[in-house]
This record gives sequence, C-alpha cells and structure tokens, in this order.
Amino acid sequence: MAFQEVAREADVPPGQTRFLNVEGKPLVLARWEGRIYALSGLCPHQWKPLAGATIWDGLLTCPWHNFQYDLRTGENRYPSNVYPAGAEYLREQVAPLKTYPVEIRGGAVWVDLSG
Amino acid sequence: MGKVARQVVEQAGVDVNALVDKLVRAAAAEFTTFYYYTILRVNAIGFEGEGLKEIIEDARIEDRNHFEALTPRIYELGGELPRDIRQFADVAGCPDAYLPANPHDAKSLLNVLVEAERCAIRIYTDICAFTAGKDPRTYELSAAILHEEVEHEAWFSEYLGEGPSGHFRRGAPGASPYVRRFMTAEFDA
Repeated sequence: MAFQEVAREADVPPGQTRFLNVEGKPLVLARWEGRIYALSGLCPHQWKPLAGATIWDGLLTCPWHNFQYDLRTGENRYPSNVYPAGAEYLREQVAPLKTYPVEIRGGAVWVDLSG
Repeated sequence: MGKVARQVVEQAGVDVNALVDKLVRAAAAEFTTFYYYTILRVNAIGFEGEGLKEIIEDARIEDRNHFEALTPRIYELGGELPRDIRQFADVAGCPDAYLPANPHDAKSLLNVLVEAERCAIRIYTDICAFTAGKDPRTYELSAAILHEEVEHEAWFSEYLGEGPSGHFRRGAPGASPYVRRFMTAEFDA
C-alpha cells in the first residue's frame, strides 16, 4: 500500500467530481453520500478523460458518451445492462473502471494508486 | 457560418467550440438512434411487440427530426458534421441501441429504448444548462428536443410498469410537437 495525498476534502464538494492528474496518472475523485471515491480518470470505452463527469444515485456518468459506472466497484452499469447478451465484441467497451483505496487524513484525501 | 450569430454567443461567455462539440455529439446520437430504432421497430412483432410498434415509430421519426433540427445550428456556429460517417458514429453522445439477443423479449426491447431516451435527456439537459441565459437560439432548440425526449422516456417507462406517462400517442407518427418549428425542410406530419 502506498497512499499519497492527492487533494483536500474540500476540493470535492458533495455530489461532485474532481479530475486530477497525479504524476501522469489520470484520476477522478467523487463524493457521494458523505464518502469520497477514487477511480481511474480515463473511461475504458474510448479512453477519454473523465473531467466533468457527473454523479447520481451512486453512478458516475462519463461526459463523452454517457457510459455509467458504479462508484463503489467501478462496474459498468450502462450500457452493459442493455447490450445484447453474449455479444463478445462489445464486452471490451463495457470494461470496469479501476477503483483505488481512499483514506481521509486530517482533511486531506489520500489514495493508494499502486494497485 | 453566421459571423455575428457566433460572435454574440461568444460575447455572452459561451465556449462556442465546446458547444459545437456538444451539438455534434447530440446530432450523432440522434442519427445513430434513428438507425437502431429502425431495427428495433421492425422487430417489434407478436402479441407484445405489436403494441410497442407505434410509439417506437414516433420516437424513431422524432429522433430523425432532432438530427435535422440540430444540423443547421452546428453550421451557423461555425461547426460542421464529420465528413466520415464512421467518425460521426464514434462521437455519438449515447451508446448504440442494439437489438437485444432475444428480439421477442419485449421487456429487453423496452429497456434498450428507455435507457436510450434517458441518455438523450442527460445530453439536452446539459446543453440547456450550458446555454441558458447566453444563447437563446440553441437553448430553445435544445429545450424543445428535451421536451420530446422526456415524453419518449415516459412512454417506454409506462410500458415497463413504472407509472403512467400522462400522455397519449401522437396524432401522426413522429409529429414532433415541440421541434417542428425548428425544422427547415417541409414538414407534413
């Protein structure tokens, strides 16, 4: 585990996201229901940055194509829920978003990006 | 391009290049959805499917109308549609609305439709928020499209048993009651 400070808690207002570049690694922080989540900052669909991503009901929405990911697990929730079952050629599009462990220390957001 | 038409939007504080990008993505989503809804509509058959066919057709034609209404605004603002349709499809602001593996499963069909409409609602809400109080022409166009997308979602949601839509079907297929005043081509519906 190699936690590093990436932001202040106040940088991520409730219900909002913040896009960061931590030592060349794109990262998105999201605060939902009092908790801050850290996820990869690139949408696996077309590897576009998640700057400007929005959140609602525990889902993070990519601003480019409106793909949606579970904040807690990074799993794709849309369009994986409507893509045809068994369509292997579409599976890559709905790969999960990588999630990272988060700790709050003295008002700062620490993220372990080593995984 | 309308030189002053673009200038006044810039002067109002809108990033016009970002706005054009949003409009192109929206137009691409409408165009691809029109294509996919064609496939969904022709497969809406049987006891359950036949009942869906008319509202899929309304939504299909109205999505085409949205594409038609958006395109002039893109060029007025100095933008353009991608010259390669493959590139156009790749920038669409919503995922492709594929036919379910079992096209006779009406619930799966409806889920594809309702999620596509929800995606469209997010797109036009974003454009309305981006232009509110700054670019009245784009705002009014986006709001008109938003009205129709909200109705489409409600129709499909009603079929899924999520509650009454509060609407009745269009008088003629794809009548576009909100967007028709932005249509530049002759409109017969």
